[in-house]
Amino acid sequence: MSDIAQIHSTPDSEGSDAEPEEPRRRFELEETGFKEVPKRWRKFYRHWKGEGDSLGPNEVICPVCKVVIRSTREFRPGDRVYCMPCMSRMVVVRSDDGSLEAKVTY
Amino acid sequence: MTPTGTASNQGDTTDTEAEPHQLDEETFYGEVRSFSFWFEAVEGYLEGRPYGYDPAMPEEQLDQQHRERIVTTLCNYCVGEAAALEAASGMVRLAPNHNSRIFMATQVADEARHLEVFLHRIGQLGVQDPEAEVQRLAHPNIVAFKARLLELVDDGDWDASVFALNVLLETLEFTVFRYHARTADAITSQILDGVVSDERRHLGFGENTLGHHLVAHPDDRARLTEMKSQLDTLVLGAFEGAYDDLGLHRDQRPQLGRDYLEAVERLGLLG
Repeated sequence: MSDIAQIHSTPDSEGSDAEPEEPRRRFELEETGFKEVPKRWRKFYRHWKGEGDSLGPNEVICPVCKVVIRSTREFRPGDRVYCMPCMSRMVVVRSDDGSLEAKVTY
Repeated sequence: MTPTGTASNQGDTTDTEAEPHQLDEETFYGEVRSFSFWFEAVEGYLEGRPYGYDPAMPEEQLDQQHRERIVTTLCNYCVGEAAALEAASGMVRLAPNHNSRIFMATQVADEARHLEVFLHRIGQLGVQDPEAEVQRLAHPNIVAFKARLLELVDDGDWDASVFALNVLLETLEFTVFRYHARTADAITSQILDGVVSDERRHLGFGENTLGHHLVAHPDDRARLTEMKSQLDTLVLGAFEGAYDDLGLHRDQRPQLGRDYLEAVERLGLLG
C-alpha cells in the first residue's frame, strides 16, 4: 500500500491537453529536510535517495540537478514545473516506458 | 514508496497554497535570481557551519596516505574554484542584463566561499602553507583550463564564458563532488555537500542562459560546439586526475562525463 495520501479529487484540466480529463489527485506536502531554497518553497523539493527510492504521481526528477520536484497535485503531461534549486523551467512529458518525466524548456 | 504527501483534515487548503509551478516565467526568474533567494537558500544549509561543516563534528583518524590523497584532491579543487571565482567576477561586467549580473554576483560569493573552505580544510589536514601546496600539486590540465577560461572572459565573450564556467566546469564539479562526498571523511563530506548545493544554482543558470540564447541564435551552436571540443579534454583529464588522486580504480569511478554529456545534448552541442 502506498503511503501517498489523496486529499481529494477535483476536475482540473490545466496543462493536460494530451490525456483524458480525469480528476487529479491532490496532496498535502510536508517538508523532507530539503534546505536549498527559501523556507516557503522547501516542501516542493526533496533529495532523491537513490536505490530503493521511487517517485509518486506528483513528483518528477529534475534532469539538470537531479532533485525531486513535487506538487500538491498529480502531474500530467503538459504541466509546467520549475526547479528552484537549479532555476530550470520544464514541462512534464510521458516517456517511452510510460512514466512521467520532466523535459527542460528554454 | 517514498512519502509524497499526507492526509489532511484541513479541507481544500492546497487550492490557495502558493506553488512555485504556478508562477509566471518572469516572476520565477526574478525570484530565483534574486539576492534574497540566494541568501535564504544558503542560510538553510550553511547556518552554523562557518567553514562549511558543523564545528562540533569530530575529526576522523586518517592514515598518512589517505590524508595526502585528500590534500592533493582538495588542492586541485582549489584551482577549479579559484578559476571559477576569477571568471565569475569578470563575468559580472559581461552579463547582458541586471538579472544575470545579480546572479553572477551571488556566484562570486559562492566561489569565494568554496575556495575558503577548501583551503581551510587543507590547513586542517596538516599543510602549513595551503596556497603554496595548491600551486605545487595542481594538475596541468586544470591549470590550462583556468588560463583558457580567463582568456574567454578577458575577450568579453559572455556566451563562451557561460559555457566554459557554468556548463562545463560546474557540471563536472557537481558530478565529482557528489561522488567524493559519499566516500570522504565526515568533515570533508559535509563541506562537499554544501558546495554541491551551490553548484546546482550555477550549472542550472549556465544551461538555462545558454539554452535561451541558442533558441534565439541557433547559428552560435557551431562555434560553441567547436569550443566545447577544445575544452573537454582539459577538464575531463583534470577530473580523471582527481579520481587518480583519490586512489579509485577505473571500475570504481562514476561516469564522470554523463551529467555533462546530458547537458550538452540538451543544448544541442554534442557535435
